[in-house]
Amino acid sequence: MTANLHMNENPYLPDEKIRRAAARGLENLNRYSEWKYLIELKTLLGEYNHVSSERIVLSHGSDMLLREVINIFSGNRKIIMVSPSFFPVAHYALKQASRLTKIQISPSDFRLNPQLLLNELDEPALIIIDNPNNPTGKILLENGFAEKILQNKNALLLVDEAYFEFSGRTFAGMIDKYPNLAVARTMDKAFSLAGLRLGYLIMGDYFKDHFSDFPAYLATPTLFAAIEALRNTESMMANVDKIGREKARMEIELSKAGIHVFQSSTNFILIKTKIPDFAKKLKEEGVVIKDMSGEWLAGYYRISVGLPEENNVLLSLVKKLIN
Amino acid sequence: MKKTGLIVNPIAGMGGSVGLKGTDGKTYNKALELGAKPTTPKSIDDTLALITRKDLYFVVAPGKMGEDFVRKFDFQYEVVSKIGEETNADDTKRIVGEMIEKGITLLVFVGGDGTARDIYDVLGLTIPVVGIPSGVKMFSPVFALSTAAAAEIINNESGQFIEKEVLDIDEQAFREGKLGAKLYGYLKVPKNVNLLQGKKEPSNVSKPEELSKEEIAQYVLEKMEPDTLYILGPGTTLSTIAQKMNVSKTLLGIDAVVNGRLVGADLNEKGLLELIKKYDKTKIILTPIGGNGFIFGRASKQFTPEVLKLIPKENIIVVATEDKISRLECLRVDTGNTEVDENLKGPVKVITGIKTETIIEVK
Ligand SMILES: Cc1ncc(COP(=O)(O)O)c(C=O)c1O
Repeated sequence: MTANLHMNENPYLPDEKIRRAAARGLENLNRYSEWKYLIELKTLLGEYNHVSSERIVLSHGSDMLLREVINIFSGNRKIIMVSPSFFPVAHYALKQASRLTKIQISPSDFRLNPQLLLNELDEPALIIIDNPNNPTGKILLENGFAEKILQNKNALLLVDEAYFEFSGRTFAGMIDKYPNLAVARTMDKAFSLAGLRLGYLIMGDYFKDHFSDFPAYLATPTLFAAIEALRNTESMMANVDKIGREKARMEIELSKAGIHVFQSSTNFILIKTKIPDFAKKLKEEGVVIKDMSGEWLAGYYRISVGLPEENNVLLSLVKKLIN
Repeated sequence: MKKTGLIVNPIAGMGGSVGLKGTDGKTYNKALELGAKPTTPKSIDDTLALITRKDLYFVVAPGKMGEDFVRKFDFQYEVVSKIGEETNADDTKRIVGEMIEKGITLLVFVGGDGTARDIYDVLGLTIPVVGIPSGVKMFSPVFALSTAAAAEIINNESGQFIEKEVLDIDEQAFREGKLGAKLYGYLKVPKNVNLLQGKKEPSNVSKPEELSKEEIAQYVLEKMEPDTLYILGPGTTLSTIAQKMNVSKTLLGIDAVVNGRLVGADLNEKGLLELIKKYDKTKIILTPIGGNGFIFGRASKQFTPEVLKLIPKENIIVVATEDKISRLECLRVDTGNTEVDENLKGPVKVITGIKTETIIEVK
């Protein structure tokens, strides 16, 4: 058995109906997707998020949209990011930024000190925060803090809510009030569509003005699956619920085994352990987790919550390694 | 064939387990009496077993310092030098010297911080090394993350190198919960994505260390103010700054410049205090130690509390490459004076390039 617990994926396949919808999308493979489906998807996403569908822009994966925001706004704005954060976007920002200020969050609470960020807003800035944060799983932005940022005329705030369905926390409700706010979302996590890639941005007016010509043709299987998934979100919610319960169990069991576990608001868990070659030893047994020493700190590992049987294998391996 | 030196410190780390400091000379026998067991054999076997490269020709130290291990595998090798029953630091240094004469282009070593220092004494930055961790706690960032990582580095070594710190650790202080780390030197290690960068994310966007240092140096130079005393701490990042200014800096010492001219080299506390008194304004530029993040450690003797009391916090400029800073939990100070430490704590802006900075907590 191999268990891939290193990419923060959803271990459950989407519902049968959704898979069938995706398969139907293959029938006109030689054609570009039709506008009416793009519009239908935007409408459904508008309803799902209680925002106007005009505020939504679609892409294959939210990753692309995060990069596009950097492309558009970083020319004459400083980028402010938290370190660590979602690595591909952090790398991209480092490459593209005309100026970049990182604010490091550190163990064990990984708290973002609001004042440190607010102090940086004396010039035009694009602030990108993944909330909850990857890899720590922590909520970094509270409402009051976000509003303080948004009330500053220099600030554009992009909140990456890839794990919204797991955290239950969103700033989408502020989108009409603050033109300088954008919220990035994905259906690749909670909706189990990572293999089809569906990301979207919910845009305040200022962002919206800059995205009018963003290419919108998506792969039809992706479109069909996303539409079907949003028509009935029950199976998604049931999966999120199952993952949440498994996560709680894992947190307890790993702690009991003597592993340092950081509380997470996502479908993954950050841990710290001194067991040498921890990830490598698990990999030899078929369990793949993310070793954070590559880009970040040695001794830290990120583990996605898998199927209960995968989690059990992981737990029993951990117990064996500790003894 | 790639001539590769292999040297094992057979008694590295044995003292630690029984509460002794280091394992040279007499302490070794004491350690044995106290029931210490060598930890190196397993590490070296683990690494050698994972080496898949076919073009290696090992130049090994005799017996338990190398030969005993390669013999079990299928490598081509020759043995250099001789050793007696008991081995010590002088053996390490002598044998490494002989390996250099044999023309090795890479040195694989197994041991602890002390072994790394012995090797640095002979090699400096000439020949790259791969340090196999030997099972006890090691502080010098020069070591590979694991025995498997060491094998991967050897397998994929491709001629790109970076410098990593060799530390002199006050182990006694460490056991008392105080981190005393003094920079001892630098060794060249192969830059390897499997060790230094995760496999999932693209590594092509991360900047080479050298370029990062150049950028930092350029930025610092542009910001330098006239008639200000700049005290430059140890390390290669600071050396790059000095190079850009055309002044020659001691790699491990503390030096000072004013208006682009060197006004003090390898300064001690007294030298620093005298210079600081002479100038209206003083700034310190320094870089944290990789791995533990020390900017002012107990053991970096020259920056004493008396010196630091004379420098306002905003005049302390911290520089570090992206790679180094992103691998630190935080920055640390431990000057031995609580008041001075408290004053230095809190967030600081670290310069990481021409256009980049990182705000990080000093703890
Ligand atoms: C914080 C964060 N943002 C964005 C993404 C990218 O998701 P998508 O599949 O939508 O590109 C991820 C995926 O791991 C993530 O962790």
